[in-house]
Amino acid sequence: MIRNPFCDLQPMKAEPARPVSRREFLHLLAATGGAGAVVKASAALGLLPASAEASTLQLAPGNGRSALILGGGLSGLTVAHELAKTGWDCTILEASQRCGGRIFTVRHGTLIDELGNRQVCDFDDAPHLYFNAGAARIPSTHRTLLNYCKELEVELEIFVNENKSCWVQDDAMLGGRPVRNAEYTTHMRGFLAELMAKAMTETDMDEPFTDSEAETLLGMIRSFGNLDEEHVYRGSFRAGHASGGYLDDGVQKDIIALRDLLKTRLGMGLLRASEGETGPILLQARGGMDRIVDGFLRQIGDRVRYRAMVASIDVRDDGVEVACDHDGSRRQFRADYCFNCIPTHLVTGLDHNFPADYVEALGYVRRGAAYKAAFQARERFWEQQDIYGGITWMTNPSRQIWYPIAGIHQRKGVILGAYDYINGMHHTSMTQQQRVEAHLADGEKVHPGYRELVERPVTVAWHRMNHMLGCSARWPRDSGGWSQAEQARYRLLQAPLNGRHYMIGDQISMHSAWMESALLSAHWALNDLDLRLRNSPA
Amino acid sequence: MPITCPFRRLFRICLLAAAASLAGSAMAAPGERLDDRYCTTCHGADGRGNEAVQAPKLAGMASWYLRLQLENYRAGIRGAHPGDIEGLAMQPMAAGLTDESIEDILDWIGGWKVIPATPTISGDVAAGAALYRTCATCHGAAAEGSEALGAPALAGQNDWYMVTQLENFLAGARGAHPEDIRGAQMRTMTAVLGGEQDIRDVVAYINSLTARMVE
Ligand SMILES: Cc1cc2nc3c(=O)[nH]c(=O)nc-3n(C[C@H](O)[C@H](O)[C@H](O)COP(=O)(O)OP(=O)(O)OC[C@H]3O[C@@H](n4cnc5c(N)ncnc54)[C@H](O)[C@@H]3O)c2cc1C
Ligand code: HEC
Ligand code: HEC
Repeated sequence: MIRNPFCDLQPMKAEPARPVSRREFLHLLAATGGAGAVVKASAALGLLPASAEASTLQLAPGNGRSALILGGGLSGLTVAHELAKTGWDCTILEASQRCGGRIFTVRHGTLIDELGNRQVCDFDDAPHLYFNAGAARIPSTHRTLLNYCKELEVELEIFVNENKSCWVQDDAMLGGRPVRNAEYTTHMRGFLAELMAKAMTETDMDEPFTDSEAETLLGMIRSFGNLDEEHVYRGSFRAGHASGGYLDDGVQKDIIALRDLLKTRLGMGLLRASEGETGPILLQARGGMDRIVDGFLRQIGDRVRYRAMVASIDVRDDGVEVACDHDGSRRQFRADYCFNCIPTHLVTGLDHNFPADYVEALGYVRRGAAYKAAFQARERFWEQQDIYGGITWMTNPSRQIWYPIAGIHQRKGVILGAYDYINGMHHTSMTQQQRVEAHLADGEKVHPGYRELVERPVTVAWHRMNHMLGCSARWPRDSGGWSQAEQARYRLLQAPLNGRHYMIGDQISMHSAWMESALLSAHWALNDLDLRLRNSPA
Repeated sequence: MPITCPFRRLFRICLLAAAASLAGSAMAAPGERLDDRYCTTCHGADGRGNEAVQAPKLAGMASWYLRLQLENYRAGIRGAHPGDIEGLAMQPMAAGLTDESIEDILDWIGGWKVIPATPTISGDVAAGAALYRTCATCHGAAAEGSEALGAPALAGQNDWYMVTQLENFLAGARGAHPEDIRGAQMRTMTAVLGGEQDIRDVVAYINSLTARMVE
């Protein structure tokens, strides 16, 4: 199964039905229950790239060689920074008024250049009032990115992803009443543990456990679900207190019946939060993710030409010629080498001299349609509900509400009011007014009075963002994963065309939609070129 | 050597008249230069067409036709039918254009280099030629188009786009709006097309006219 890296809590497809032998019973219980972290570890391994050492470069001196970098996305900025360090002459041609591409922080005065729906953000002007409309989370295993943050002095802070105090809401469950994540997951785990304990005591195992193994296992199951001596779940303080607990006797919250919990499919995601790519500690750049872009620009700022929209690429034996539209005129550039992070589906619209198979591969990659929206909140009402950071999950189309860590206990805050990574076209195809109304109505179900509590909406439909037209490359077309033909296309695009033109970005990786992938793709290209130059006579 | 195109630059801060009515949303940023010349992001450099986003070639198309289409999109006469997937993507792009802006854009498009589209679709050209006899009445023997009849040039256009249009006309996803007079005319003409194979054949024939254009 292909995991969408945007999201940790994407509802999983149910396991395919198959005949169950007794020996598989326990396995199956665990696997379908979402307690299957262990059972599924091997499957997960294939999906989570190995945590590696940070990729670093040792490039040979540039000796005045020149490079054109098409697009000021993270990978383009990285190439420019690394080449500039080693004495290359490099220029970034960036179509829009800013660098960073999908690293996009929206704050007071930011232009959101969504085609057909341009907006200028009118949040109050304060450092904590920002919204990461693109990249928002840095897993602590993304070592190359973290290395750059260190090198470029980008201040980091913890990002809170899973927060048990946040809400879970489904119209189909309990008449739409939101429940705390802790309530939902505690009860669900209790019921799951009961089933597991039962299975353990009643199933004949082909390979029986020793007494001590069985005792340990049963102990874990009991602890997992907070079962009593009889292996029965009778509620738990883990779900929160109904009252008391400090100076008076604590009173447990009532159990929510299993049947009610099963009314929503959100549990599948909730029970595997903080696993996979969001398992490591997550970080964010203090003040907005675009502080990373600022860090690169401090090093390479004057090498960027803004509003320089590439129109043609001519790859030759001795270099690359590029034309771009800049300030109403078409200008020609040439360089020895070219690194291109323009989205593949936009490259196909340029004038070029690429061979047919290369064009076919570029055209093969599809684009995702993630959608995000945010509001400025007049007051930090979530803090009154014990919520500091984290995500509320809903089955309605707005899907998620994110509460900010930035600006704790200040008066206002910016909350994410919608994030749909799979079916973003739902909101994309609405007018701005319809989008906002939809998010207000959805949020109202979790936070009564929401409509009055939030203001100044901004929406970002990546499918329509100028010079991007997508949230990330979608390579495999089959849910089974990459086909051989797809891998061949990927390798074709990764290799330099005529030794001169490199496609880069997370789109040229097997793990798109992560900044780390964009960096590793840039490093791959730089290393490849370095090797070629070292091996060829000057 | 820098090649300079003398574009008439027209900067507009047209922003958000509509959005301003939202809960205090978004106002134009002072000093932000914005115009409506954003077409090439989708339609490709010099409007050469980009199959990956299904946006057709605009370069070389007659102004009278482009103007009508932009007005139709703006008014929701085209690109509003739920079956017109690609038209729905285009419609919001025209929704906010003023007459002045449309004229500016047509001016701009007029300066683009025209590169006839490369064929991506094959079919039975002879069968297509027979079918095309009907089409020629309006679109012309060389598919050069006719302003008098309101029929655009087809030679040089992206074949995948023409297929979409013919399918949409057939299905009523284009040309069914009561105010779409021209579209309705064209829609009745699709009666001669029996189905998918006929569409491919006639488009293959139009491709052969495109090839003659290149020669
Ligand atoms: C909604 C969303 C959420 C995400 N969440 C995360 C996250 O939590 N963590 C994480 O690590 N990553 C996340 N990502 C992914 C991350 O943002 C990307 O992987 C990374 O920013 C991609 O960088 P890139 O180098 O590929 O360039 P891009 O960002 O794709 O930049 C491409 C650049 O090319 C420019 N361009 C386009 N056309 C032209 C032209 N004709 N001429 C010149 N320039 C042109 C564009 O303006 C742009 O600046 C998210 C992305 C999105 C959209
Ligand atoms: C978000 C991408 C996008 C943008 C931006 C965009 N278009 Fe389009 N346009 C499309 C698509 C897709 C179609 C094809 C619709 C179809 O297949 O029916 C289209 C169709 C058209 C057509 C119809 C062509 C014909 O032969 O009938 C015209 C005219 C047009 N666009 C003009 C423009 C102009 C002018 C602009 C800039 C103001 C623009 N477009 C911006 C995506 C876009
Ligand atoms: C009676 C005149 C007439 C005939 C005959 C006719 N067309 Fe058309 N066609 C039109 C008109 C008018 C339009 C423009 C519709 C509009 O303005 O939306 C059009 C539009 C089209 C388009 C869309 C072009 C674009 O850029 O979006 C295609 C493709 C097309 N015709 C193909 C054909 C084919 C193939 C035939 C023969 C089977 C045919 N037409 C016969 C009048 C005609």
